[in-house]
Amino acid sequence: MTTAPVPAPGGDARGTVEDPVTVEGRWDFGYTYYAGAAASRFFNELRLNRRIMGTHCPQCDRVLVPARGFCDACFVEIDEWREVGTEGTLETFTILTSSFPGLPEPPLVVGYVTLDGASSAVLNAVCGVDLTDIDAAGLSLLSQPRVRVKFRDVREGRISDFAFELVGK
Amino acid sequence: MRPVYVHGVSVSPSWADPTCSLQDLIFVGVRDALRSAGMSATELDAVVLAAHDLVDGRSLTSMVTAPAAAAYLKDETRVGDDGATAFALADARVRSGSVETCLVAAWGRLSEGPVDAISHALFDPFTTRPLAMTEIGVSGLRATRALAEHPGYAAHREAAAARRDQRAGDPGRTPAPAWPLRPAELPVWSDVVAAVVIGSAPTAVEVLGVGMGTEPFELGDRDLLGLPALSAASGQALDEAQRGIAEVDVLELDGMTLFDEALAMEAVGAAARGGGMAALATDHRVDPVGAAARGYAAPAMGLAHIARAGERLADGEGRTALATGSSVVAAQSQAAVVLGTA
Repeated sequence: MTTAPVPAPGGDARGTVEDPVTVEGRWDFGYTYYAGAAASRFFNELRLNRRIMGTHCPQCDRVLVPARGFCDACFVEIDEWREVGTEGTLETFTILTSSFPGLPEPPLVVGYVTLDGASSAVLNAVCGVDLTDIDAAGLSLLSQPRVRVKFRDVREGRISDFAFELVGK
Repeated sequence: MRPVYVHGVSVSPSWADPTCSLQDLIFVGVRDALRSAGMSATELDAVVLAAHDLVDGRSLTSMVTAPAAAAYLKDETRVGDDGATAFALADARVRSGSVETCLVAAWGRLSEGPVDAISHALFDPFTTRPLAMTEIGVSGLRATRALAEHPGYAAHREAAAARRDQRAGDPGRTPAPAWPLRPAELPVWSDVVAAVVIGSAPTAVEVLGVGMGTEPFELGDRDLLGLPALSAASGQALDEAQRGIAEVDVLELDGMTLFDEALAMEAVGAAARGGGMAALATDHRVDPVGAAARGYAAPAMGLAHIARAGERLADGEGRTALATGSSVVAAQSQAAVVLGTA
């Protein structure tokens, strides 16, 4: 007879019964999200025609970008499509430092831009900003400069089919 | 409609305590709220719980955790929203006469998961997630706009941060920053359980008013500085309480970063437009150590602020308190509660 703990085959007899136990967990499911008719056309217009399209609400007279199938403020369906400009105003921005798999490496400037003819702002990357000095870069963009859309050569029907760049750069 | 009173509160902050499971943390927090109320679990008629599966890393998290929150064989409701919204629902249950007593509990244990990645997963897969957006990123967008529009924000941000005394967190407890936010302006992640017991029997602190508001889904449609949902929610709560903001002497406003708190001050009318950051630096209605003491853990913070407001009133800091809670994503929905000394 022995008083020493007898581990199961391959077991570990170290430690005490008070040792905290943890287990690793991971959620890694695949989803297929449906964009719906309005958003699908918005993304396909980017891919096929290099156009940024909004939908016009007849009640509040706003042109909503990205395009959508209803106006949530008026709660009505909207299906009048309008092309908006490819220049606009950088309403606000931030410089992100989080790194996520498959996404652009930080630091990354992203900003909301109200394109000419649109009533709402759309988020996208602002490229071509010298980020050697992050504070200097941020301060240089505070004046809400004009930006323009730059389409990628290879487009996939994604928001990343375009980015913004500063006008005059 | 019956009056509703606060019977007991508890806010339990911790971080990565390996001796406690999530259920243990919830049990202790709820037990402490019941002790504060001088009640046993059997005296509760109903329970309302706020939790997020994504934060907890458990599907149908409240199914696992509800018994730890005294919900066994109780009239129980679960919401996937901030704890302040759960409080609003509990208040309605008591005020309507459906139940006499109700426990509200909300929790978030951020030490168990990758907070930045969870925050990123909350965003829309078509328009914002591909651009690496997170909750801190949205706060960065608000902060940039505030600095551009309100010169007072730059002038007072250091003083406001110093008064708040937000200590730098241990590794894993602070988010990746987003310019222009500075480390002292960021939250320190925490494991928080907040619990409040309310009921129809009179106590020293009465629930005078409740309000809620929701903004558009698309961030590009929103007034990022004006926080109209918060204005609507606080206005509704104050109207119901028949109080003006000038009568409020205790403020417990939910904000993930210093800039979010400053803008919240303006949205509820406690500071003039552009004056939110200066108010944070000097306004004694704001509890400067509250955020630092608890850390931040969605979706518990709204209820934590309500609990703290009740404590401050009970401690004699004032006669009327306004507490708010904001939900993910990007504070789209807001709930506000006005408490008063009876």
